[in-house]
Amino acid sequence: MRMRADLMQAQDAAWHAIGAQGTWRTGADRVAIAAETRHALQCPLCAARRTALSPAMAEGEHTSLGQLAAADVEAVHRIRTDSGRLGRAWFDRLRGAGMQDEAYVELVSIVVVTVAIDTFRLAVGLDPLPLPAAQPGEPTRRRPRGARPGPGWTASLSPADRCDDDPDLFREHPGPRERFGANIHLALSLVPESMMHWWDLFEPMYQTGPQMRDFTRDFRAISHPQIEMLAARVAALNQCEY
Amino acid sequence: MDTTAHVGVAHARELLAFADAAVSFDPETTAQARDALLACTDEAAMIDAAAVIAGFNGITRIADATGIPLEDAKAADTASWRVALGIDRMPAHKF
Repeated sequence: MRMRADLMQAQDAAWHAIGAQGTWRTGADRVAIAAETRHALQCPLCAARRTALSPAMAEGEHTSLGQLAAADVEAVHRIRTDSGRLGRAWFDRLRGAGMQDEAYVELVSIVVVTVAIDTFRLAVGLDPLPLPAAQPGEPTRRRPRGARPGPGWTASLSPADRCDDDPDLFREHPGPRERFGANIHLALSLVPESMMHWWDLFEPMYQTGPQMRDFTRDFRAISHPQIEMLAARVAALNQCEY
Repeated sequence: MDTTAHVGVAHARELLAFADAAVSFDPETTAQARDALLACTDEAAMIDAAAVIAGFNGITRIADATGIPLEDAKAADTASWRVALGIDRMPAHKF
């Protein structure tokens, strides 16, 4: 199978980065989140919640690998199996159970990197990758000084509030990062390394912003309309309102 | 129900079946959908379709797990068809 080099490089880098020391989590913690993301698909409680009119109607405990705190397991399982019905009250319950916003954002990034790479490999007929090795090191626990509340449940860092000691998460000179600060860009920006972890994987899978808006040519082996149709279908399947 | 017949996008039926299968995470259904897509396109198209599907299977979870709202301008531009498609009713189902 002949893959685009940028696509393979991005997936390889994102996968191995899961095992690296994080900003708010250790490498071992990050690998455990990836493992739990896969395990969530076998959780009977998640299966019952998924089919219930309300997830609150299905009671019980998650079947987990036992490596993460209960709030982490709840977050991983719901994001993996029922993300379209997540609401503010659910997030506030996670906070009440001790989840830090920054650690949550980093958790989200690892779950979605795992989901995206696993989905890609399943789709093209490749076996799932073995989990990356956890690297040693303590989290840096560095929160961007310019982070402000909103637009989502956690604070975020907008391009205008980025400081010199923040990584260049929105734009590089020269690129390839060209992110203008749409709300979806801001979603993970409270942890800039997590935002870059996701977007450096996602753009080779989809398109960069400038490519998305350039209808004079196609940048992939499928057309703009085909790409957007697929994006809309997946959003509908996952009940994503954004 | 076949909802793909008149969308005006080349190979829509095969692409949408591929998306449905991959998101369902069922290897057998996905293999069948992949073969059907390959029969009418080529390997590069299948790979790029898989990449878009996989990427959006991730990014939709970011949007929903962080509670980000749609930007005001986008909400205004899409107001009528968001009502028509029932998208604006989705927040009522969040817990």
